[in-house]
Amino acid sequence: MTIAATLDASERRSLETDRRVLERYTDQPAQMPDELRRGIERRMDGDAVQLYALADLDASLRLSETWLALGERHVAVAHPRPGRSEIRVFARDRIQDVRLEPGLSSNSLLVLGPDDEPLLARLRFSHRQRRAMENIQFVLEQALAGQTVARADADQVYAESVAAPVREAQALVAGNDMAVLWRLLTYLAPYKGQVAFGMVSAALLTALTLVPPYLTGFLIDEVIGPVQDGSKSLADVQGIAWWSVAAIAATYTLRQACAWARLRWMAILGEHVARDLRTEIYAHLQRLSLSFYSRKKTGSLITRVTSDTDRLWEFLALGVIDVSLSVVMLLGLSAVLIHLDWKLGLVMTAPLPFLCLWVFFHGRRMNQLFLRAWRKWSSLTDVVSDTIPGMRVVKAFNQEGRERERFVGRNTSVTTEFNRIHDVWTSFWPAMMLVVRGLVVVVWVLAVPRLLGADSELGQTLSSGTFVAFLMYLVLFIAPIEIIGQMARIMNRATSSAHRIFEVLDTEPQVVDPPDAVRLSPVSGSVSFENVCFGYDGVRQVIKNMSFEVAPGEVIGLVGPSGGGKTTVTNLIARFYDVTGGTLRIDGVDIRELDSGHYRDQLGIVLQDPYLFHGTVVENIRYGNPQASFDDVVGAAMAANAHDFLCKLPNGYETMVGERGHTLSGGERQRISIARAILHDPRILILDEATSSVDTETEYKIQEALDRLTAGRTVFAIAHRLSTLRRADRILVVEDGQLVEQGTHAELLALENGTYRRLCQLQLELSGREGEPMTEVLA
Amino acid sequence: MKTIELTTNTPFEGELALRLWRGADGCLVASHGGEGVPVTVARCFPWSDPTRFVSLRDGEDEEVALVRSPDELPEGSRKVLEEELAIAGFVFEVESLMAVDEEIEIRTFHVRTRQGERRFQTHRDEWPRTVPGGGLLIRDVVGDLYLVREPGGLDRHSAKLLWPFLD
Repeated sequence: MTIAATLDASERRSLETDRRVLERYTDQPAQMPDELRRGIERRMDGDAVQLYALADLDASLRLSETWLALGERHVAVAHPRPGRSEIRVFARDRIQDVRLEPGLSSNSLLVLGPDDEPLLARLRFSHRQRRAMENIQFVLEQALAGQTVARADADQVYAESVAAPVREAQALVAGNDMAVLWRLLTYLAPYKGQVAFGMVSAALLTALTLVPPYLTGFLIDEVIGPVQDGSKSLADVQGIAWWSVAAIAATYTLRQACAWARLRWMAILGEHVARDLRTEIYAHLQRLSLSFYSRKKTGSLITRVTSDTDRLWEFLALGVIDVSLSVVMLLGLSAVLIHLDWKLGLVMTAPLPFLCLWVFFHGRRMNQLFLRAWRKWSSLTDVVSDTIPGMRVVKAFNQEGRERERFVGRNTSVTTEFNRIHDVWTSFWPAMMLVVRGLVVVVWVLAVPRLLGADSELGQTLSSGTFVAFLMYLVLFIAPIEIIGQMARIMNRATSSAHRIFEVLDTEPQVVDPPDAVRLSPVSGSVSFENVCFGYDGVRQVIKNMSFEVAPGEVIGLVGPSGGGKTTVTNLIARFYDVTGGTLRIDGVDIRELDSGHYRDQLGIVLQDPYLFHGTVVENIRYGNPQASFDDVVGAAMAANAHDFLCKLPNGYETMVGERGHTLSGGERQRISIARAILHDPRILILDEATSSVDTETEYKIQEALDRLTAGRTVFAIAHRLSTLRRADRILVVEDGQLVEQGTHAELLALENGTYRRLCQLQLELSGREGEPMTEVLA
Repeated sequence: MKTIELTTNTPFEGELALRLWRGADGCLVASHGGEGVPVTVARCFPWSDPTRFVSLRDGEDEEVALVRSPDELPEGSRKVLEEELAIAGFVFEVESLMAVDEEIEIRTFHVRTRQGERRFQTHRDEWPRTVPGGGLLIRDVVGDLYLVREPGGLDRHSAKLLWPFLD
């Protein structure tokens, strides 16, 4: 027997990434050792390993390596040993129950055999292995319940379940930091001309910086000196003197022009690249499937579009050139100094590597300090963000004093940390400068005898002009050292932002339309589920083998306990996710064949907590249909029972709603979202608990609006309050991912021990109407 | 089974006394009087008072009994309870730190624990917390816990790496 599932290219890539994560971040094997796997399969009589997991703790809770492997008919528990591994195998049909006992850091999976027999297996493992173990537990439990589970590749399931938490926590892009920086630089390609201009100005700037000291030296040696000692006459040199001064002036002017050109061009260029990246990432975010959004925190995605791209501007506009030119500058300066006078030059240049190292270690120390200060700072902001929204509670319990003390305590320790940082950097730079000045003194000490000609019969061996130029060059040393010291930090910030951005750009949307997608115009609204299976991750299925048919115009109620899979059913109908097994057809066409944009144009959704965008009410109503006339807008609002309350607002339909519609009540927002759906005129409508968060009177108004909205459309209504379902033609009861009952209200009530009947009873009891006949529950 | 509280001032004796033992399958079983139920243990105060206020819970995660102090249990029962608590309260105990690396959004700790060498990751904006008794508790991205029992007693290198996370 072989593993049924084969991996396509993207799954293969994902498996490789998972394995890299395992190798880099954990100490456990990236897959079950081949030899062990073969040994297990031999012991299981050729039964192939379908799934496996690692138990990383032994009975005495020390880290160890024990594998649990699942075959078609057997289960194996194996301890790899050099030479001969220890493998214990038992038949799956002996399993009576599987239990997972969670602990703080150790979990136990108990595999129970027939009553009164010792456990078949007890495996202990840390949370890191828990997902992989839960997969096995799930498959065994499904088997006990008489159900089968879609096959998956064992190596992939294992690697994914262990790597997932790290991958979810971190932006991880293929390639190392240098590759990422290189890729970032490719974004400069459309602006080649500007980049070249910026680079040339920057190079010129560096070169020009070196000119004035040279001219100064020349003036002293060739003009001022000879005139003062009388070897040349004033008339001879006056021309040269003024020309030199003019040259210095011209150099300075040109230099500042270059500085301007470089700054301006690169700043503007950086802004263009940041804009390109922002556009690209936002456009890509719009393409990505909803599964991506359930994996990533909203806040983290927002910062990627905003602050990460901003940081890259900083890097592209300033960082790239600053860093590369500082290196050039230091090398150039060293060369010039050594050329002017190699002995004095070496005094300055030889200690350079040590100075850079010193700056580097200072940076490391500062990182430690910043880390600590950052931690204290976040504990300070925690207090503020905790108590300000909770001010009513603080006041009610009269805890203002204690909160103040808590804040003062943390405030003091933040101050201590920041002062520690100030202590370090304020002493570092003066110390650094002291060393540089110390070197200058050494230069003086060595130079004075030579300037005075005291140490040699040749007289003066160092001209005053050369020495003055030398001193002027020394000053130029300081800035590049500073920048090179910060290089690690600049590069680090840029690469981490680039990683985060490229991670989004490299994520492929999971719902993709085929090239020759079908466009149904119009959708008539028949929906059929044929053995549909679906899982968000791993082997755990949320929808298990579900089949049903819905005719155009039918109103379907979806009922069942929460977490049972009702919302998932509607997510599949809306094609936010693709089914993992079976087929979902719309008007007889496989939903994966459809042009999803065109299809969703004919689909409407009203959610429990309607999302209104920042803008006016009319903009929100027209969201799916920006061309709609005011006539249609008012008509839709009237049908949605929204017209009346909108007219009472001072700005009418042009009232601004906040991000979450703060100025309007829940029921009002709901009715606006219904108007939005009515105007959109969908063929298939999904109502996800549209009335569960409002009071009875509002519910009545919303219900009335919904009745108008549902007329003539295929409707899927998820409801907790069963009274919402009085118009339903048919009710589907979804429990544990399966369709357990379907029929009309009366048919389902007639089922003894039915789930629907139980839910109705429960609601009657809750509303204190248990005496009433159940047919009244929908009244 | 009804919840019966064992209090420190009313030692529990007689027919309805709570008894704990290990079943044939090695699981903890509790009973007060009637038939035994397999139970798991949950501490109310895992860090401040780990041995007292222990909730015994059945397969449905309903409380069977609350043991306010194990001293009130018969010798044998107390012993199995303590064994079970040691397992349920298991966390990795960090003995020394080899490296702490800051990465893009995570921080990797490379440590030597009493249980063996291990590398684990935390979110960069999540910080270790101090537990009563002066220990430092680090929770990784999966939820595993790593306890540095005495941060003051670490070797120099480890202490230096841990310094930013201490108060």
